[in-house]
Amino acid sequence: MPDYNLRLIIPEIFLFLWALFIIAFDLGTKRKNPKLIGYLTMGGIAATAVLLYLYHGGISFNNMFKSDPLALFFKVIFLGSAFMAVGSSFDIIAQKIKNHRGEFFGLVLFSTVGMMFLASAGELISLYIGLELTTIPLFILAAYYKDDRISVEAGLKYLVIGAFSSAILLYGLSLLYGLSGTTDIVMMKINLALLYLNTNGIGWALLMAIVMVLAGIGFKLALVPFHMWAPDVYQGAPTPITALLSVGSKAAGVVAFMRIFIDGLYGFADAVMFPLDWGNIVAVLAAAAMILGNISALRQKNIKRMLAYSSIAQIGYVMVGMVAVSELGVGSVGYYMFIYLFANMGAFAVATIFNDNTGSDSIASYAGLSKSSPMISAFMAIFLLSLAGIPPLAGFAAKFFVFAAGIQAGYTWLVILALLTAVVSLYYYANVIKMMYFAPDNPTIKLNTPLSANIVLIIGVAGLIIFGVYPEPILNFALDTARVFGF
Amino acid sequence: MLDLIIFYFAAVIAVGAAVMMIMQRNPVASVLYLVVSLVAQAILYVQLNALFVGALLIIIYTGAILVLFLFVIMLLNLRGEHFGGKQSRMGRASKIAITVILFAEMVAIFKQVAIPERIGTQAAAVAEDFGSVEMVASHLFKEYLYPFELTSILLLVAIVGAVVLAKRDKTEKMEDA
Amino acid sequence: MITTGFIIASAIKVIVVVVAVLTGCAYATWLERKLVGHIQHRIGPNLAGPFGLLQPIADAIKLAFKEDIVPERAERVTYALAPIVAFIPAMLSFAVIPFGDTITIMGQQIDMVISDLNIGILYIFAITSLGVYGIVLAGWSSGSKYSLLGGIRSSAQMISYEIAYGLSIIGVLIIAQTLSMKELVAQQANFFDWFIFRQPLGFVLFVICAIAETNRSPFDMPEAESELVGGYHTEYSSLRFAMFFIGEYANMITVAAVVTTIFLGGWQGPLLPPVVWFCIKVFLFMAFYVWIRGTLPRVRYDQLMNLGWKVLFPLALLNVVVTALIYRL
Repeated sequence: MPDYNLRLIIPEIFLFLWALFIIAFDLGTKRKNPKLIGYLTMGGIAATAVLLYLYHGGISFNNMFKSDPLALFFKVIFLGSAFMAVGSSFDIIAQKIKNHRGEFFGLVLFSTVGMMFLASAGELISLYIGLELTTIPLFILAAYYKDDRISVEAGLKYLVIGAFSSAILLYGLSLLYGLSGTTDIVMMKINLALLYLNTNGIGWALLMAIVMVLAGIGFKLALVPFHMWAPDVYQGAPTPITALLSVGSKAAGVVAFMRIFIDGLYGFADAVMFPLDWGNIVAVLAAAAMILGNISALRQKNIKRMLAYSSIAQIGYVMVGMVAVSELGVGSVGYYMFIYLFANMGAFAVATIFNDNTGSDSIASYAGLSKSSPMISAFMAIFLLSLAGIPPLAGFAAKFFVFAAGIQAGYTWLVILALLTAVVSLYYYANVIKMMYFAPDNPTIKLNTPLSANIVLIIGVAGLIIFGVYPEPILNFALDTARVFGF
Repeated sequence: MLDLIIFYFAAVIAVGAAVMMIMQRNPVASVLYLVVSLVAQAILYVQLNALFVGALLIIIYTGAILVLFLFVIMLLNLRGEHFGGKQSRMGRASKIAITVILFAEMVAIFKQVAIPERIGTQAAAVAEDFGSVEMVASHLFKEYLYPFELTSILLLVAIVGAVVLAKRDKTEKMEDA
Repeated sequence: MITTGFIIASAIKVIVVVVAVLTGCAYATWLERKLVGHIQHRIGPNLAGPFGLLQPIADAIKLAFKEDIVPERAERVTYALAPIVAFIPAMLSFAVIPFGDTITIMGQQIDMVISDLNIGILYIFAITSLGVYGIVLAGWSSGSKYSLLGGIRSSAQMISYEIAYGLSIIGVLIIAQTLSMKELVAQQANFFDWFIFRQPLGFVLFVICAIAETNRSPFDMPEAESELVGGYHTEYSSLRFAMFFIGEYANMITVAAVVTTIFLGGWQGPLLPPVVWFCIKVFLFMAFYVWIRGTLPRVRYDQLMNLGWKVLFPLALLNVVVTALIYRL
């Protein structure tokens, strides 16, 4: 009989039930109070974090659910991104979304549950379903402004791309299953190795499987060349959802990548995969992502599109740590995603607030913002500088560790390229700051921020400064996750 | 021998109909080819002793999902001319190129992997009640209980999402009335 | 494995069943007209032969000599295929229905069933679910509004009732723990073991859904004469029309046979030979069909949808849960 250790999935079950509760609560109350639902949602996320602390460590359902340090670490990121996305969406809910407010928050929570299941998946089917559970609510959330053509287009585009990439991913996974005869990721690795010893030349089949899976997850990560959908979807979706897409769902993609590629396909890959191992493929893709993302971001006039291209570039930096496949590599990727959470969620939160007050997303309209709203301008500057990797903000430490891991693993060319593109990225991040501080005054509006958005901003800034100056605890935690893979 | 004939018959129909499906401009014809392809695939499942899966394939896919497709297509009265003009030459060429590459890759794989040996070893390992309802059920509800239950969450989420997207907003309704 | 005897026996069984079903279809029309006539205080057909018994033959000859019309705007290939697609599944379903006990002829055990699949019930569901394509295609390919509406209604109706249809049978399966039709009959040896007594709600749901699935009154939306002329077969004439006609009646007989097998004890019964009992039960159920047609008015389209989704579906689920709790806890 399999072991059903239900204690370990208590956080997920709680969050799922809480999502249902939110939807039912909104349906059941006569006087609609969007703020109350929002705070209830945030409370639910916080409670899940507590439950996560209480119930973790161990495996359940025959290795299909792993509550290991890696899962725990990424679940914290998911909960954080959901918390901040919900926190920054209060004004949008009040102003633009008149119907189905409960479902808005409910779907955000559903997506988060999906990410959490995904992070814990020790088996291909659960991993795939977790991935779908992550993305399907996001399709709907992206199209939540039903009257806005751009939003509907974003939802539709994301849906089509999502379905397409799922098909590719499934094909790759089915090849892996066909070759190994198991869906358990660890068993898969063993079986593939045995098959390699006993049968001649499974190299090509494995290569095909790897390319397919890489493409499938690449779409979810918006890794070049699978990034085409990202700018349009990011631009059209409600801004907090864009933030969730760029942090939460991306971190989910990263953890799925780790589970399959590091846990399932690494180790013997070098021996089998003549003359390519996936490290080299991914390194090339990472290089392409950094170049294309950063250069395209230069030309953007819309802050959401700019951040979309920037996040394409950021995932390139993450992949530098990933290809290292070492303790420092895995740890630095985790750390990077953790810092990215604060910086990117914060930047999107500012964009949300700005749009709620002015109705504009263009970078030019940020001109002179520092005069009317000095605090928010300062926050935005901190977020953007951290994304660029300026010390002493945490973004610097994150980039530093990732690059160190890359050099340690011998990918010197990639790190040099990353450094060069990071310099380029400084230009477009600084451009926004220049607009806010040095551009001639426009008749600007004072930005009003709801309390919840202020909380989000403060969390973001505090995270960046504290972990920039004192990265040890998070870094140690992140390095600890590497133990999962036996480093 | 008979098995082999039936296999090739069904396999050729399954693949041929699938190809025809994507070649059609008329959506109803596409659905029909998909129906044919699925029925042929069901035959393949039956040949593999997976009677249950074969029956489910027909009941669920051809019997329910594709009827729904047909319903939608007919309700919207979609005809071939609704699907844009001709494709650009580049677009068509790139599609064909990708298809050819994938196909070549597949052939390469199947040549590389020593298929006959693998099938031989696998066939011997198949249990007596392979593919029976009991076997499928015990896999589904014992071994794979966790992903199975996850799927139910996924379906619930999809339903919530579909309702949100499809339900007419209250304000609109008033204007209509 | 496959002996000559087996092949001959199978061939004979197939021929006998096909002939029986086709004759049954012909006389089902007679039965319907006669019964409905009496329900409405008429006599019904009485001129062709004694009691009008030759009426079906006269009808068949008349249909065969009608002109075969293909509308100008029809999609020719699909238009020609549709009646066949509607007809064939109706005949195929009979492959798994046991109409008698095992008998021994010339030292050979012969099952009174063409093929005893161990997933018999699922096979029937699979095959009958294909029947809707004939109707939908006919509606779509005729190039006529009435036909198209009939086809759309039919597909919507099918989807709505398929779920409750499938679920209503699950209760029986939970008790019987088999999908084989032969096994099901064997488990109903005693009169009070008939599943109609052990699954009354399941029986009612199944019959309602089956009537909807076969597009019979009061659920004959796809061909509602008063609104849609003839629905999906408005444009059809001659033998193509006859195929739809036979298909519909063959479907009714199939449902009657399935209900008999699953709920009414199959061929089991005292004194008379099994095959006769089977025929009696099928006949009675066909009469029930006609009775319903003669008494109930047609439901409206939205009523049909509401009934399917909001009443039958939850009830079917409830039935499954209750049955599982009672029998398997």
